Amino acid sequence: MTADQPGVPLLLPLELQLERGPGPLLPQIEAALAPHGRPLRWAITAVEAGSEPVLLTLEAVVLQAARP
Amino acid sequence: MAVATPPLVTMLVIPTGIGCEQGGYAGDGLPVARLLAAASGSLITHPNVMNAAALYWSDSRIHYVEGWALDRFSACQLALRPVRRQRVGLLLDAAIEPELKARHLQAADACRAALGLTIGPVLSTDAPLGVSLHRGPSGASWGRLERPDALLRAGERLRAAGATAIAVVARFPDDAGSPALEAYRAGSGVDALAGAEAVISHLLGDHLGIPCAHAPALSPLPLDPGLDPRAAGEELGHTFLPCVLVGLSRAPDLMDWRLAGPRVGAVPVEGAAATTAGNPGLAGNPGLDCAGADTPLITPQALAAVVAPAGALGGAAVLAAAERGVPLITVVNPCLLNVTAAALGLEAAGCTVLPARSYSEAAGLVLALREGLNPESLLRPLVSLS
Repeated sequence: MTADQPGVPLLLPLELQLERGPGPLLPQIEAALAPHGRPLRWAITAVEAGSEPVLLTLEAVVLQAARP
Repeated sequence: MAVATPPLVTMLVIPTGIGCEQGGYAGDGLPVARLLAAASGSLITHPNVMNAAALYWSDSRIHYVEGWALDRFSACQLALRPVRRQRVGLLLDAAIEPELKARHLQAADACRAALGLTIGPVLSTDAPLGVSLHRGPSGASWGRLERPDALLRAGERLRAAGATAIAVVARFPDDAGSPALEAYRAGSGVDALAGAEAVISHLLGDHLGIPCAHAPALSPLPLDPGLDPRAAGEELGHTFLPCVLVGLSRAPDLMDWRLAGPRVGAVPVEGAAATTAGNPGLAGNPGLDCAGADTPLITPQALAAVVAPAGALGGAAVLAAAERGVPLITVVNPCLLNVTAAALGLEAAGCTVLPARSYSEAAGLVLALREGLNPESLLRPLVSLS
């Protein structure tokens, strides 16, 4: 059985770009990652200097539930 | 008689797999942890800082907390309960060859015989985990598992058999001779294994809600006379396991704190929540010989300072703490990233940021906070109030 078969959850690497909104960052990041799976580990790995709004690059690994 | 100043609960974060000049190799963050533990009296830090393969340091002021739990603690979802000892289950990847497996079992036996640790049960996964290593666009190391389900099943069996903490050993791809490994051994590269290690321990911790940490199983490397001292810890023996067993043996219990903290209704700790039936407040199996209900908890609200590399402030633990008002001491520690307090606008958002040019300076700031000194009073010029 391989990872893309039914019954096996998937660990997926992810790269996202996110426009920073007003207020705390953490909920913005959690909301951006949530549609992709359960975030296991993530970090902001770059911030685009001088852009408006500020553009953040996120790298993450998310867990996607097993297909039935 | 003078009364000792109470500890200042401090968190040290040196993120894994981003090539930090200090703490990006084989346990070379450990002297920093010892210094900050002495300055603070209570230091929470993670395996990447403490693990030096065959080398380790045990200090009752240092609390060994894997990254997944560190993130949840920082976000007020977990509290920590110190214990005298944990029963450390040993989870071995079925892909480990018989001779390498025997080496790991002997390392565990050595820790029982020489250090008095409580280790076992031992079991192997029902399928090879299929670890692969990757680099993100930033150059940070990450990793994947083909069979996360096999890891989680084995963890569940160990917990059901009485393990209160779990040391995982996965077979990692040998990359002897690769440019990345050569750069790392020469002291100028990223730890290519670290990202995958973090994914494994985060996955298991998230699922089980008990302390978990990882050691990779690898074939021995040929002698490198030019080996950087910071990478030397990994070339002393056949396994990287002893430091993990020592760290986990006194890792604090993880207590569900979502109902006690200020963030009621925050993102559920799914793995932990699944294990709390019949034992409210406890995320997983309790450690051994804890002093029961009288054992003082380390609550997230007690966290009073975070120390992190100045260019790597974009992780979950650091952001969660900074955004709830915990002072953030940012230390010059070059790495792949340049995600600074200024770039993230942390000070503009009301976070308290205290820059330090070195970990020695950071220790001075921690000591100042512990003594109730305003760090500004140590700087010159001292601007007039008027």
